[in-house]
Amino acid sequence: MQAPEAQSQLTHAEANKLLDLVGANPTLINIATAYRRLSALTAAVPHTTIRFAALSTFTLDPMTPSLQLAALGARIELHPWIAPFGQLAPTLIDANSPVTPFAPDVVLIAARLADVVPNLYDGPQSNNTDGLMATVSDYLDQLDASITTYRDRSSATLLLQNFERPSYIVSAISEFEAAGGQLHAWRYANSRLRSLAEKIGNCHVMDYDALVARHGSRHWIDPRTELYGRIPIAAGHYFDYAKFIVRHLRPIAGRSKKLIVLDADNTLWGGILGDDGLDGIQLGHDFPGNAYLRFQRRLLALHQRGILLCIASKNEPGSVEHAVASHPEMILRPEHFTSMHVSWSAKPDAIRHIAETLNLGLDSFVFIDDSAVECAMMRDSLPDVMTVLLPDDPARFADVIESLDCFDQFTLSDEDRRRGVMYKAEADRRQLATTAVDLPTFYRSLQMRLTIGVNDKRHAGRAAQMTQRTNQFNMNTIRCVEDDIQAWIRAPDVDVFSLGLTDQFGDSGIVGLAVVRKSDDNWHLHMLLMSCRVLGRTIESTFVAWIANRARTAGVPNLGATFVSTPKNQPFADFYHKCAFESGPAESQSRQWVLDLDSADTRIPDWFTIEALESASR
Amino acid sequence: MNNEDRFKSVLSTILLVEEAEILESTSSESLDTWDSLNHISLLGALEQEFGVTINTDHIENTRSVAALRTLLSENGVSF
Repeated sequence: MQAPEAQSQLTHAEANKLLDLVGANPTLINIATAYRRLSALTAAVPHTTIRFAALSTFTLDPMTPSLQLAALGARIELHPWIAPFGQLAPTLIDANSPVTPFAPDVVLIAARLADVVPNLYDGPQSNNTDGLMATVSDYLDQLDASITTYRDRSSATLLLQNFERPSYIVSAISEFEAAGGQLHAWRYANSRLRSLAEKIGNCHVMDYDALVARHGSRHWIDPRTELYGRIPIAAGHYFDYAKFIVRHLRPIAGRSKKLIVLDADNTLWGGILGDDGLDGIQLGHDFPGNAYLRFQRRLLALHQRGILLCIASKNEPGSVEHAVASHPEMILRPEHFTSMHVSWSAKPDAIRHIAETLNLGLDSFVFIDDSAVECAMMRDSLPDVMTVLLPDDPARFADVIESLDCFDQFTLSDEDRRRGVMYKAEADRRQLATTAVDLPTFYRSLQMRLTIGVNDKRHAGRAAQMTQRTNQFNMNTIRCVEDDIQAWIRAPDVDVFSLGLTDQFGDSGIVGLAVVRKSDDNWHLHMLLMSCRVLGRTIESTFVAWIANRARTAGVPNLGATFVSTPKNQPFADFYHKCAFESGPAESQSRQWVLDLDSADTRIPDWFTIEALESASR
Repeated sequence: MNNEDRFKSVLSTILLVEEAEILESTSSESLDTWDSLNHISLLGALEQEFGVTINTDHIENTRSVAALRTLLSENGVSF
């Protein structure tokens, strides 16, 4: 679509303002205008591209600008393809359907039972409730068969929208006792969908029912456009629906946020610590203190899912730390914060410092503050940071956390749950680096122990997750799912090496992954990536040296690799050069590297203990 | 913006044409981008812009600028 007006070059900060405006008032005009202006920005700021196919039982087309705009808000450039109306099952089943050449990364399957089994929503047309269950069951069988067929042709991530609760219940108050009634059939349909997703693999259920419930089905559905144009979702909710879809795209695109930086005064508690004192701040079981307790509990829940928390507060150094440690009602305690920055210096400086210390990109940060001035300053200085201004009323704070739909991962690993602890250890390590004499002494003091799993099936889930998340130290940014890794683990000509790290500060878990393709005269690094929180400790080069040694032992003359440049993996660009690989043929975005194993120095530094865990069988 | 400007702005944004190209006689017959789906978006956008509610019996007979203007006038929007 061509914009009627000339597209002006927006700054990143202006783009954020535009998105805020749409968020506050998502009318069709605001959405269309903002999308046109923002799409000019994708060239200036790095975006992840997703080819997105949408298959539905209703008309989705009018929501396309909303979807593309919401995606741009998450730095995703969406290339949509919408299946012709009514073509959900044929598109999945027919190998010659147009979705095949489109080659989507993600396929949305949005079936509404209201469209295909209207009796479930309008009421069974007879007293024979077995008939209702049978119809629902038949439809789920058909959906199952269609998706299973499609899975054989495509490895795209599948997003299955679940079914909304029927809002009109014919038998009304007796429904809860009716074994075969509408609610019974609806629950059955959703549980079938969940089993289907588990069976298919790389397939996730989106809780559309919860979305409709949150907004209220009477407001969500516009019966006029539903009946006239088969557009059930009311125009005022297009953007809510779009954001709901995009929240599921963030983890696929590696665009989920990882860390929240919080203000303290009038954010974690009511009042000003410096003025009101430790006893005077509002935090406790009565209003308004209970509003802050609820807010803290929601933050703690995020922390336990692996989201890091930090404080940036303008206060006397030491005062906030003391309050967090000693106020009797605090939910969040020092162990929950990766770091606390309490001083009179500007908050963007604190955030820059945190980003450097933890090796995290600024675009993985969320900043929450009650001060409009602080928020404006953050937006202007660090537009990559998602800045959230708290509402005036603390009773609404918890809702802010609920609306932040940017932290999602599809599966939670043990590493996620322990990430807060691991990053805190990392911050402590950096502290040690500033006092150590020279680097080898520092490295030795860390007592690093590398455990390398060789084709270890148990690590496949975490390995796949790393490929989804790692952007900076990633050789070619191939995103994988667990099934891909498991397939390589089984393949005799491929080795999967998963690198675990423990040191004096704790267990960092699995932090690196290498996939090597083997032939008699060459081993080739197909993938190599490492969590950025452990970079700068010679682990990455040692991992490669270890693989090189293994290749030499296998009698192979050289070890090859292909670097593919992305907007985010510049930290990797000269890595092979540093490891003494010879540069080979290059194209615009990629370069071949090779290490001659006859002459290469592949000694392991003395500050490492390495243990390889060979899997007995594949 | 007065109501006339708001009206033209909605038409231009949804139908992807310059405001100057929108004439009173412009209709779904004369404009390719004015298809059925865009017509529904157009009515939705006008509802949002002017805070009016349009009944379904007006969906079919409002596929021209003149007809939309009449519809809005009947709903209390003055030009």
